[in-house]
Amino acid sequence: MITGMDRLVAAINGGTSDRIPVFCNLIDQGAKELGMPLQEYYSDGEHVAEAQLKMREKYGYDNLWSLFYVGREAELLGCEKIIFAEDGPPNVGHMVIKDYDDIHRLEVPEDISSHPAFQEPLKCLNILKREAGGKYPICAYVTASMTLPALLMGMDKWMELFLLGPASVRDELLAKCSEFFKKEITAYRNAGADVFVYANAFGSTDFVPMRLFKELSLPQMEKDLSVGTDGVVYYCGGARMNAVLQQVIDKLGLGAYYLSPLDDIAEGKRIIGERGLTCGVINDIKLIDWTPEEIRSEVKRMLEAGMPGGKFLFGTLVMPYGIPEGNIRAMLEAAYEYGRYEGHVNG
Amino acid sequence: MLERLITAYNEAVFDADRDTALKIIHDALNSGISPEDIVFKIVVPELEAMMKAVSETHNVSLAQHFLAAQIAAEVTDEMTAKFRKLPESAGRVVIGTSWGDFHGLGKKIVAGCLNALMIDVFDLGLNVPAERFVDEAVAHDAQVIAISSMMVHTARGENGCIKVRSLLKERGLEERMKIVVGGAPYRYARELYKTVGADAWADDGITAGRVIADLIKGVRR
Repeated sequence: MITGMDRLVAAINGGTSDRIPVFCNLIDQGAKELGMPLQEYYSDGEHVAEAQLKMREKYGYDNLWSLFYVGREAELLGCEKIIFAEDGPPNVGHMVIKDYDDIHRLEVPEDISSHPAFQEPLKCLNILKREAGGKYPICAYVTASMTLPALLMGMDKWMELFLLGPASVRDELLAKCSEFFKKEITAYRNAGADVFVYANAFGSTDFVPMRLFKELSLPQMEKDLSVGTDGVVYYCGGARMNAVLQQVIDKLGLGAYYLSPLDDIAEGKRIIGERGLTCGVINDIKLIDWTPEEIRSEVKRMLEAGMPGGKFLFGTLVMPYGIPEGNIRAMLEAAYEYGRYEGHVNG
Repeated sequence: MLERLITAYNEAVFDADRDTALKIIHDALNSGISPEDIVFKIVVPELEAMMKAVSETHNVSLAQHFLAAQIAAEVTDEMTAKFRKLPESAGRVVIGTSWGDFHGLGKKIVAGCLNALMIDVFDLGLNVPAERFVDEAVAHDAQVIAISSMMVHTARGENGCIKVRSLLKERGLEERMKIVVGGAPYRYARELYKTVGADAWADDGITAGRVIADLIKGVRR
């Protein structure tokens, strides 16, 4: 039987499997799957692992997630309050950094793996590894040092410090966040994750002008990724990346690039070429309202733009909680159908 | 001379260089240009230029929006204190993030921009209940309620814009007040503002200034 890992490895190597790899980021939907409120769901790594395995089995896509919610990273750095919703991802309810003194005081945990806030994700990872390791790629979400401060102090305060504040304070915070990033990705790697989604909104010129991208974002990413780039996927949190792809490839040489739904897939593919895996991403916010026919037609359009030449993956973005199950199926069935490689012999 | 100043100021703001932008403004003031001309002939046209660049190229970053609004608000505050007579208010807006949403950056950009356009802004903060949006709008006799949402469930949820619309209807306020929305979900689904019952939406914080100014003109009473 062909597994998700087979499909991913074939795509990375420029070969073909039965079809392209299809990554579907169902996160909060796990709570619905187990019939429990989100807060209860995220309190136990067993819940998350169980739902991840069930949903992958039910829909047939190729990846598994160890992500609970993004605010979990803030908890690893001292956040004491997460505000849960009934129908969407939780918010960070306590800002670890309220003033510059908090930046001086911020301590990066010595060992992430033994941190209390990492124990449930670790439990989840252990189960996923035991049940599906080597068969389905297990994804971890790691926020880049340049974007992480937004979770610790709020995007508005971070933008203010980043653009207008004292450079020494900004750089001190970036250094601490980079130290945290390296430890966090190492902890996930040691726990058995295969794919590391390197989330960096500040790695897009939708967030920072090109001058600052070159002067600050790119060097900072080099620092983060000095720890190793195996399995790292470039992702700008949904912001566009085509304008910076060439530079990111030249400097960082990562293996995969997870485009924005707002990027032109054919253009992204042309820039990346043979140098990495192009991940075309559907605008999944529209899946709430689109008809199954509209979904099929959009998936077809995307795959026609991205599949020629191979090295292509179909992916989703945030997959809002409100997407009807029928529309999730319509999207995936279209991706399986239009993403098939003709002439492939199973086995 | 004014033209040269406008060009230099625009370049500094587009380059996200606050220090140079402020130096240009202070040099202009020292050279005898009036505070009124600084606001209405340099700062506001720069915001207009940024709106034009956004609509034409879509290549203006969030950092540039943020900085343009911050600088505009800062300069406007400083200059209006020096105006020969107090500027006439161009309207009143209450602004906040929708219930369940704790993302304040977009709101801050919009408020800075509105400040430069002489529109009074009443900032209700984060995680604002629908009832409070309406109560505060009535209390301040606002023409526009501006609701920012960064998450899909807070944009579409029953306690956000949808409820504000229903309260306006219930209290017979729809002719007197308009609703504008903004934030990431609306950029990815450009018709979503209609689904949630808003009158208009803006693609970014700077453009929101113009959208809100237009809405105010439509309901001036």
